[in-house]
Amino acid sequence: MFTKKFALIAVILSFVVPPMSMFAQDAGALLDLLVKKRLISDQEAEEVRAELTKEASTTSGGKWKLSSPITEIELYGDIRLRYQYNGGQTTDNSPLGAHANGTAGHDDWQERERERYRLRLGLRGTLADDWFFGIRFETNASSRSTNITFGDDTAGGNGPFAKNSDTLNVGQAYLGYKGFKDITLTGGKMPNPLVSTLMVWDPDINPEGLAEQWKHTYNFEFGGGSTTAAAEGYSKEGGKGFVAPAPTEPFKLKLDLFVNFAQFVYDDSNPENPLGPRATTTSQVGRVRGSQLIPNTDAFLLAWQVGAKLTFPKNIFLQVAPTIYNYTGNGDTFNIHYQGGSPFVTNAVSLAQNQTGINSLLIFDVPWEIGWKIGELPMHAFGDFAVNLEADQRAKAALHPGYGDERYAYQAGLGVGQLKQKHDWQVDVWYQHAEQYSLDPNLVDDDIFDGRQNMHGVAAKAGYALSDAVVLSVTWAYGWRINDNLGTGGTPIAIGINPLDQYQFFVADLNIKF
Amino acid sequence: MKLTYLILSLGLAFGMAEAKGERLVIKGSDTLGAKLVPQLAESFKAQHPGTTFDIAAEGSTTGIAAIIDGTAEIGMSSRRAKSSEVGAANAKGKNMKPTIVAYDGIAVIVNSGSSVKSLTKKQVEQIFAGDVTDWSAVGGSGGKISIYTRNTSSGTYSEFKELAMKKRDYAKSSQKMAGNEQIAAEVGKNSSGVGYVGMAYTKASGVKVVSIDGATPSVKSVQDHSYPYWRPTFYYTNGEPGGLAKQFVDFTLSSGGQSIVSRVGFVPVK
Repeated sequence: MFTKKFALIAVILSFVVPPMSMFAQDAGALLDLLVKKRLISDQEAEEVRAELTKEASTTSGGKWKLSSPITEIELYGDIRLRYQYNGGQTTDNSPLGAHANGTAGHDDWQERERERYRLRLGLRGTLADDWFFGIRFETNASSRSTNITFGDDTAGGNGPFAKNSDTLNVGQAYLGYKGFKDITLTGGKMPNPLVSTLMVWDPDINPEGLAEQWKHTYNFEFGGGSTTAAAEGYSKEGGKGFVAPAPTEPFKLKLDLFVNFAQFVYDDSNPENPLGPRATTTSQVGRVRGSQLIPNTDAFLLAWQVGAKLTFPKNIFLQVAPTIYNYTGNGDTFNIHYQGGSPFVTNAVSLAQNQTGINSLLIFDVPWEIGWKIGELPMHAFGDFAVNLEADQRAKAALHPGYGDERYAYQAGLGVGQLKQKHDWQVDVWYQHAEQYSLDPNLVDDDIFDGRQNMHGVAAKAGYALSDAVVLSVTWAYGWRINDNLGTGGTPIAIGINPLDQYQFFVADLNIKF
Repeated sequence: MKLTYLILSLGLAFGMAEAKGERLVIKGSDTLGAKLVPQLAESFKAQHPGTTFDIAAEGSTTGIAAIIDGTAEIGMSSRRAKSSEVGAANAKGKNMKPTIVAYDGIAVIVNSGSSVKSLTKKQVEQIFAGDVTDWSAVGGSGGKISIYTRNTSSGTYSEFKELAMKKRDYAKSSQKMAGNEQIAAEVGKNSSGVGYVGMAYTKASGVKVVSIDGATPSVKSVQDHSYPYWRPTFYYTNGEPGGLAKQFVDFTLSSGGQSIVSRVGFVPVK
C-alpha cells in the first residue's frame, strides 16, 4: 500500500517540481500540504522527503553547498577568441630621430596582428535582507583590456605556450544594498554604474569606490477603452452580420527616471604624508622644469548623472543621461599636467610627453539613444556629446594656450538588428570625434582609435548569433588626426606613434557566453 | 575427548552470552538522548534481559555521522539529515532512513522573574540574531538580553535557525551550551536570560515558557502544528533496521514506548 502511495507522490512531485537539485526543498511545501490534508502521514512524507533528498544529493546541483544567507546566486562568464589588427601611420613632416631600426620615419606604418583570448568568470548573488554581491575574475591586469595574446610569453625560459601572461585578476568585487525603495547602494570594484558610451568610458573598466543609484518607473495611460461604431461584416455561414467592435487600446507610456551618483577612487597617493621634504618633478612639466612639488593627495573621480528613458508603445524608446564628471586631488600617478604629444618633436620625444594627466577636466557629457522598429526589425540611433568645461586651462598647461577650443567630443551612429538569440544579427555604424582636450584619455575605449584624443573617424561592428550563447562579430574602425598642430594624446595602447596621422583597427571575435 | 568437551563448552558459553547479551549502540541528539532514549532503553531492557545499550548524546550531527561511519545502529536526531549528509552517506553505500519517533516543540524560555510573557516570531528572530539587545525593545522591563543557544553539533541549534530565524546566524554575543539542561539552568540563574529547549526541559526551575504569536508548546499545539516551532524527532538507521535495532524502533513506536514519550514530555506520534 505504502509503495503505491509513495510512487504516486513521487510521480506527482516529478511533474510539479522537475529539477532534481531543487526537488527536496521545493517538495517540502507540497508534502506538508498532503500531510495537512491527511492524504499521507508524517512518516510517509518523511520517507518521501528522504528519498528526494537522496536523489537530489546525487545531482550536480545537489553537491553544491551554499551558505544559508544566499537567496540567489548566478555563475556566469564568457570566453572570447579574437583576431586583432592594429595599424597606425606617422605624419609626413614631423622631425625624425636618427635613422635606425624601430625609429619612426615619415608616413611610416606600424602594424600589429595578434591572436588573442579572454576569459571572464563571475559570480553574483543576492543575500537575505536586501544585500547583494558580485565578483568577477578576468584575464589581463590592464583596466582597459581582458585580452591575452597567444604566444606573447615565450621569453623567460618557460618555452612555447608558457603561462606567464595567462593570469586571472579580480575584475570586480563589490557588495551593495537595495533595502530602500528604488535605491541601490554599491561599494567596491564594480561594473560601471553610469550610462555611457565607448567614446567616454571603455566598458572593460570597472571603477572602484561608491555608487548611489535611484530609479523609478512611472506608467501613464492615455485614452483607450472606448469603442468605435460596429463595422458591417459577414458571418462565415454567408449571411450578412456585424463584427463586434474592439475597444481601442490606451496609449501607454513608460517613463524611467534615474539618478546615478559615483565617487571613485581614481588614484590613491601613498603615503599622503611622506617622510622628509616633498618630492619635486625632475622633468619638464608644463612650463615648470624640476621644481614643481608633486601633489600627494588622493585623486577622486566624481560623477553626477540624471537620466530618463521614455518608452512608447511598439518598442519605441528615447533615453538621455546628462552627466557631469569632475576630478578632485591629483594622486601620485596622474599628477603631472597632460601634454598629449606634439607633431613638432620626434616621435620618441612626443611619446615621452605626459599622456595621462587629469588636470583641468570638468566634463559635461550627454549620452543618448533612440530605439524603434521597422516591422519586426529593431533599429536604434545612438550618440554622445561631451565638452570639457576647463579645456582652456588644460590646453594652457599643455603649452598650447591657443587651442582651448579643442574641447568637444561627439559620436553619432545607427544600428540595425539586435543580438538576443540564435540567428539574430546586428550592425552598428558610427562616427566619432574627440578633440585633444575634451575627455579623460585614461577612460576612453582603447580599441577605437587606440584610446587617443585629437582623432576622428568611422567605425562599424557587425555580429551574428550562431546560437543563443555564441556570437561571431567583426569590428572595424578608421581614424584620422583632427588638428595637425597637436599630438594625439593618450597612452599608446597598441601603436607606439604620436601623433597618429591615421589609424586602422580590425577584430574578428568568436564569443561564447555562459 | 576432554579437549573437545572444553571447546564445546566455551563455544556454548560464548554463544549464550551473545544471545543473551546483545548490545545496541545509539548516538546523537541530546534532546532525545538525555532523557527519552535512556528511559526507553531501561524499559526495553526489562523486557529483554541481558541487552545492553551504549548511548552517547552529543548532538544530532554526531548521530547522523555515526550512521554514515557505521559506528552506531541508531542515530538520534532532532533535525532532518542535510543533503550534504545524505550525499556523504550515499557515497559510502549507506541509506539514511528516518523514522519519526516523537514530536517536540522548541520552547523559548526566559527567567521566571522576567516580565516578558509573550513574543512575536519577528521578535524572536530579532532577539536571537542580535538585532534587539535590550528587553525594553520587546516589551520587557529593560536590561541587556543574554542569549543561550545550543552548540553547533546540535540539531536543535540548526532547527531553531531554520524555524525561527530565517536561517540567519545567531548573535555574536550568544553563549553556546552543550545541552538543553544547561540552557535551562543558565536561564534560570540569569534574570535577563533567554534560550530555547525541547518541551521535555521546560519544567526546569527558574524558567518559564513564553508564548509565540499567542501559541505555547503543548501536545495539542504540536500535534495540530499550530505552534510555530514544532518539529519531528528521528531515529536514523542504515536502511530498514534489523535485529535488535528493529526491535528497539518497534518498541519506541509501540503504545508502551509512546507512553514513555508522553511521560518524558515529548508529543507521541500516535
